[in-house]
Amino acid sequence: MASVLSRPNDQSFRRPGGSASRYSRPLSLALIAPLLLLLSIGFLYPIGLLIKLSLFTPELDLSSYRKIIEQPIYLSVMARTFKIALFVTIASFLLGYPVALAMASLKRRLAAAAAAAVFIALWSPVLVRSYAWIVLLQRNGVANNAMTELGMVEAPLKLIYNEGAVIVAMTHVLLPFMILPIFAALRSIPQEYVCAARTLGAGASTAFLRVTLPLSLPGVFAGCVMCFILALGFYITPALVGGPGTLIVATLIGQQATVLLDWPFAAALSTTLLIATLTMVLVFRQAFSISKGFASVD
Amino acid sequence: MPWTFQKLIATTAACLAVLGHSAAAEQIVVATTGGAYEKALREAWFDPFTAQTGIEVVTVAATNAEMRAKAAAMVKTGNVSWDLYLQGEIQAASEQHLLYAENLSEFCKGFSTHTDLDPDACNATGVRLLSNSTLLAFRSDAFAGATPRTWADMWDVQKFPGGRSFPDFNDPWRVMAAALLADGVSPEELFPLDIDRALAKLEQIRPAVALWWKTGDQSMQGFRNGEYVIGQIWMTRAKALKSEGLPIAWSHAASFLVGDRIALIKNAPHRVNALKLAEYWLNTPAAQAKVCEALSCKPPSGAAIKLMSPQARADMPSTTDPQNTPVTPDAKWINANAAVLLERWNAWIQQ
Repeated sequence: MASVLSRPNDQSFRRPGGSASRYSRPLSLALIAPLLLLLSIGFLYPIGLLIKLSLFTPELDLSSYRKIIEQPIYLSVMARTFKIALFVTIASFLLGYPVALAMASLKRRLAAAAAAAVFIALWSPVLVRSYAWIVLLQRNGVANNAMTELGMVEAPLKLIYNEGAVIVAMTHVLLPFMILPIFAALRSIPQEYVCAARTLGAGASTAFLRVTLPLSLPGVFAGCVMCFILALGFYITPALVGGPGTLIVATLIGQQATVLLDWPFAAALSTTLLIATLTMVLVFRQAFSISKGFASVD
Repeated sequence: MPWTFQKLIATTAACLAVLGHSAAAEQIVVATTGGAYEKALREAWFDPFTAQTGIEVVTVAATNAEMRAKAAAMVKTGNVSWDLYLQGEIQAASEQHLLYAENLSEFCKGFSTHTDLDPDACNATGVRLLSNSTLLAFRSDAFAGATPRTWADMWDVQKFPGGRSFPDFNDPWRVMAAALLADGVSPEELFPLDIDRALAKLEQIRPAVALWWKTGDQSMQGFRNGEYVIGQIWMTRAKALKSEGLPIAWSHAASFLVGDRIALIKNAPHRVNALKLAEYWLNTPAAQAKVCEALSCKPPSGAAIKLMSPQARADMPSTTDPQNTPVTPDAKWINANAAVLLERWNAWIQQ
């Protein structure tokens, strides 16, 4: 009983800002300075150049952006990219959460085995994983052969080179990015909270819905944002398992940058994608704080 | 035995030369597309060149599009590490090309008297390596009687039933051109391409298209697993399928001829040696013959064609047989309209 009572006090150091406040402000700044410098040189500066390239050729020129708005194809491809990323994020969440939950509650050896399964998927090259889906889904592939043998279908189905295949293959690639943050969040929830809820009369599902799930939301948020942003920039997987109907923004940017060498337009497309992505992240954040995702954790 | 011995000496000499000169940077960096193509170039061209001159040839692999973007980036930032890079004939003819590649007009004057070379084998944009075709290939076991010969046959799903395949790799002119030829446009009046008419004709074949291929490997895999029976693919890939033992045939009557050039990047670090390598290619029909023997291509030198085997000559895209002459695209028009072509194609293909 004593340990249960003492636990909430241990939590205090996990509160946001808790550990940072131990250090003085100049020291904190000095500690993050190297990273800030690296980010400015390696990330912010190139992005600044990219945005400049999209706006100035060399004097102010908005024609690239006008083209994106005026030609319907660019906005429709942008919309499709977001739609695919959204479906992939939802699918990753639905498939990933139970896995993370199982990993967090499994006994040591089984948990290690589950983690290994996730990490092996994370470490195998994207190209290999995409080709594996081709082997499974192609006309004479494993899936079609099995269904034909079992008499479920008469002629082989068209399972690949369409949007469905892209979503399936991308979900496969991105699942670890959803599972790991949720797993980390779940692991940091003290078991005693659930015990306390059960003691106070909550059923297993109520305890999950009112204690575990809300407390794991920061992990869900991190996983969703990561999956969504990575999905927006996917290039190889849609090219390999997608068909003509799955044209996405990354492909368009590649075309402009390498085939037509129209770098200002490629930069304008990239900037538009960047702004749209940042907006989505802010909306995500807002949505989560409205649902008290963070408040209930703090 | 004497041959092996000679080879041994040559290799040793080459190694020593490379070792001795590596400090003096006696090397050339060439960007190629890798794979079987690079292997053929290395065996027939780079290695003999190194044996003769002691200059090492280092290769870097990249796709054609990557090369273009990377060469542009190198020149723009003033950080050039390549000397020579491959470019398609059409891309080389674009206005942008000479912003990043050196104008070779002066160099080419030295070859104006070489009568065995094609007249445009060496021009301002670069040195032609070889010419190759994109053509109609089909599974010969799919058709009992007549076999498809023209683009119109590819569109005729009653007479030649089965799946179809076309490329979809950011370079749509050859699909549109095939559609127009299938629609009855004569090769002489093909360019400028009537994009609306081409897309209307493509709409007819769309339901039969099993795969819009993006990479050469994909175009081969579809033939292997029976996804389609007729495809517009690269000649080198059709030949590779046949070598695998697949019942694959092709028709030169439905083909487009596209060359590859090697260009000298601006401010190349080993400019003089790079030009020596280019000169070696143009002056050595034996090297050209060996490469095209392996890749079923047409070398720029007539003397090289004479050195090839009868079988390789029969597979090679011909410019003398009027029934089977491939169509040569209008590079100038394609470049001037590249952005429009791509935009119209993107809008149509994703419907």
